[in-house]
Amino acid sequence: MAENNSTADSKDVVLRSSIDRSLRHPVMFLFASGALWLVLSIVLGLVASAKKHNPEFLTCFSWLDAGKVDAAHMSAMIYGWGLQAAFGIIIWLMARLSRKECTASGIILWAAHVWNAVVSYGIIRIMMGEGSGVTYMEFPSEVWPLLLVCYTTITIWSLVQFQVRDAGHVYVSQWYLLAGLLWFPWIAVTAWVFVFLMDGHPLMVAGVAGWFKGTLFSLFFLPVALGSAYYLAPKVTGRPVYSYNIALFGFWSLAVFGPWAGMEKLFGAPVPQFLPYAGAASMILILIPAIAVGYNIIKTVIGNSEVIAESPSLRFTAAGVVLFLAFGGLSVLLHTVPALKLTQFTYTGYGFDILGLYGVFSLCAFGAIYFIVPRITRREWLSRRFIKWHFFCSIYGISSVVICAIAGGLSQGQGIEDLSQPFGTMAERASQFSWGVTLAWAFILFANFFFCLHLFLMWARLGRRSSHPTLLDAHHPTSPHGPEGEVDNYSSASA
Amino acid sequence: MTFKAFIIGLLATFGIPWLLLVVVPYSTMRSLGPVEYGKDSEFTGAFVPKRDGRIKEGSRIFGQEGCALCHTQVIRPTYAGNDVHRGEWAGLRKSSSVDEDTRRETIAQDFQQEDVAHIGQTRVGPDLSNFGRRLEHYLKLNKSSRTPEQWALMHLYNPKAVPRYEVPETGAQIITAWKSACPPKSGLFAKVQVNGAGYGNLPVDIEAGMGIKPSDRARALVSYLLSLKKDTLGNPLPDALNFNPKAPKSEE
Repeated sequence: MAENNSTADSKDVVLRSSIDRSLRHPVMFLFASGALWLVLSIVLGLVASAKKHNPEFLTCFSWLDAGKVDAAHMSAMIYGWGLQAAFGIIIWLMARLSRKECTASGIILWAAHVWNAVVSYGIIRIMMGEGSGVTYMEFPSEVWPLLLVCYTTITIWSLVQFQVRDAGHVYVSQWYLLAGLLWFPWIAVTAWVFVFLMDGHPLMVAGVAGWFKGTLFSLFFLPVALGSAYYLAPKVTGRPVYSYNIALFGFWSLAVFGPWAGMEKLFGAPVPQFLPYAGAASMILILIPAIAVGYNIIKTVIGNSEVIAESPSLRFTAAGVVLFLAFGGLSVLLHTVPALKLTQFTYTGYGFDILGLYGVFSLCAFGAIYFIVPRITRREWLSRRFIKWHFFCSIYGISSVVICAIAGGLSQGQGIEDLSQPFGTMAERASQFSWGVTLAWAFILFANFFFCLHLFLMWARLGRRSSHPTLLDAHHPTSPHGPEGEVDNYSSASA
Repeated sequence: MTFKAFIIGLLATFGIPWLLLVVVPYSTMRSLGPVEYGKDSEFTGAFVPKRDGRIKEGSRIFGQEGCALCHTQVIRPTYAGNDVHRGEWAGLRKSSSVDEDTRRETIAQDFQQEDVAHIGQTRVGPDLSNFGRRLEHYLKLNKSSRTPEQWALMHLYNPKAVPRYEVPETGAQIITAWKSACPPKSGLFAKVQVNGAGYGNLPVDIEAGMGIKPSDRARALVSYLLSLKKDTLGNPLPDALNFNPKAPKSEE
C-alpha cells in the first residue's frame, strides 16, 4: 500500500513538473512583462497625481497632458499589468488543476508578445491624443478586436484542458477561473460592439463603457484573484478549504450581483433611472461575496499565523483577501444614495478603483506569482528583503492612496454640494489630498521596482538553486510547505 | 454541481442583467421619439433641438484630450446633487440682465450629434453643460472686448492668464481663472512667425515677430465648447423636458 502511494506520488511529481515545464516560457513572459507595465503605470500614476496639485508640472510635453496621462495610467495598469498577470495565473492554475500539460505554449507566447505590442500601440495613441475619447475605454476602436484575438489565443487552451481533464471533482478555483474566462469575452465583445460599432445614443454609449469597467473588475479581476486565493490558502497551509458550501455561496453570489455593476457612474444622468440604481445596488451587494470568501479563506488559514508570516504567497494572498473585505465594506458606505452625491464626481472613485485593482487583485496576483515562479523556473526567490519591501511598501502605499483619495474625495464632494462655498474651495481641498496620493504612489513605485527587478532576475534563472522555499523568517524550524521537494502535494487542494 | 448546471447558471446570472442593463436600454435609447409640445403650449408640433458648431469632431477631441477627467457635463436632478443651484451651471438665473430663469436638468437631447456623452469622471473644474451660454453672459456683463472664442482659446492656452470675471448680482459665481487647477494645453497651439497683423493669433506677447496660433484641433474643441448651451437648445423646451426647479406649475 505504502509502495503504491509512493509510486503515485512520484508520478504526480513528474506530472506536475512536466506541466510547469510546458508553461515555463509563456507564464514567465506574461508575469515579467506585466510587472514592467505595472512599474510604467505607477510612474504614469505618479505624474497624473502630481499634475493634480501642480498643474504646470511637465506641461512642456503635450503627450503628458493631465487627461491623457491619467487614461494611459489606468490602461497600462488594467491591460498591461492586470490582464497579463491574470493570464499567467489562469493558464498555470488551470493546467495544474486539470492535470494537463500545455501543448500550445509557443502559440501562447506569440500571442502574449502581440498583446504587449497592441497595448503599447493603444497607449501611444492615447498619449498622442488619438484615443477613442470614451471614458473607461480609451484605447482606439481597432485595438479592442486585436486584444480579443490575443485573449482567445492565450486562454482557449485552458478551456480545452478543462474539457479534456480526467473526470472528477471540480475545485472551487476552477469555477472562478472558468467563469472569468467565459465572462470576459462576453463583456468585452458587448462593450466593443455597443460602444464602437453601433450608433447608439451617446448616453448609453457612456453607460455601456461604465458597465464594461465595472464588470471587468467584478467578473474578471475578482474571479481570478479569488480563484488564486482559494488555491493558495489550502495549498500553503496544508488544510482543506473551511467550507465547501460557503465557497459555493460566495461564487454564486458574485455571479448574481457582479454583472449589474458599473452604471452607477451615470447617477442623475437622463438614462432609464433603474440603471444607475442597479449599479449602486450591485456595488453594495458585493459585500455578500466579500464576506463569504473572506470568512472562508480566513477560516482556512487562521491558526497558522506563522505560515502567513513566513510564506510570501500566503502573506500577499491573505492581505488581498482582507482588503477585499475592506473593499466590500467601503463599497456599501460609498454607494448609498446620500454618499453617491458626494462620491460620483470626486477622487473617491479613483481611490476605490485603485483599492480594487491594486489592493485586491494585485496583492492576490503577487501571492500567486511568488508561488508559481519558483516552480516554473526551478529556482527559489533570491532576496527575502526585496519581498518584505514589496509587501510593506505595497500595504503602506495602497492604504495611503485609498485613504487620501477617499477622504479627499468626500471633502471635495461636500464642497461641491455646499452652495455657501465658492466652487474653487473644493478644487483646493482636492489638490491638498492629492499630495498624499503622489507620495503614496512613490512608495508603491519603490515596492514594485524591486518586485520587477526580482522577477527579471528569476526569469534570467539567477534564482537560488535550492529546494528550500524562500521564507520571510530566517529561523524556521520546519518548512511550512511540508517535506522538502513535496511543496504542493496536498490532496486537499489539488482535487 | 455538474458542468451543465454550472453553464446554465452562468448563462442565467449573466444573461438576464446583460439583457436588462445593456441590450434593452441601449435599443430603447437608440430610438427616442420626438417630443411634442403640449396642448397648452403656444408652440405646435414636435420639439426640434438645434445646436451649432463642429460638435462631432470637437466632442471627440474633448474626449481624446482627457477634458472629461476634470469637467463633467451633467446637471443632476436635485435628488442626486445640488448642480441646478450652483451658479450658472444649469442655465442663466433671472436678474436685471436676464429676463427668464432658464436653469434646468440635463436631458437626453442635450448630447445630440456627439458619439459619446462626456458625463465626466471628476469635478475638479466646473461643469461645462452650460459653458457656451455662461461665457457669453459673463463677457457681456463685464463689457469684455473678447469674443467667446478668443476667451476659450486663451483658457486652453493658459488657464491662469485669462481675466477673472465677476457676476456680482448672482452671488459668488465667477470663473476663477486666476487660480485655475487646469493644466495649460500648449500642445494645441503652435509658435509661428507673425505675417502682417497676425490674424487669428492669440493676444499674448512673446518674443518680437512671433505669435501663438491655435491649431485646427483647438478651434474644433472651442467650437464644441461654445455649443454647450443647456438652456433652450435653440427652440423652447416642451414642458415634458423642462425640469426647471423654479418654473411655475401650470395649475398655479
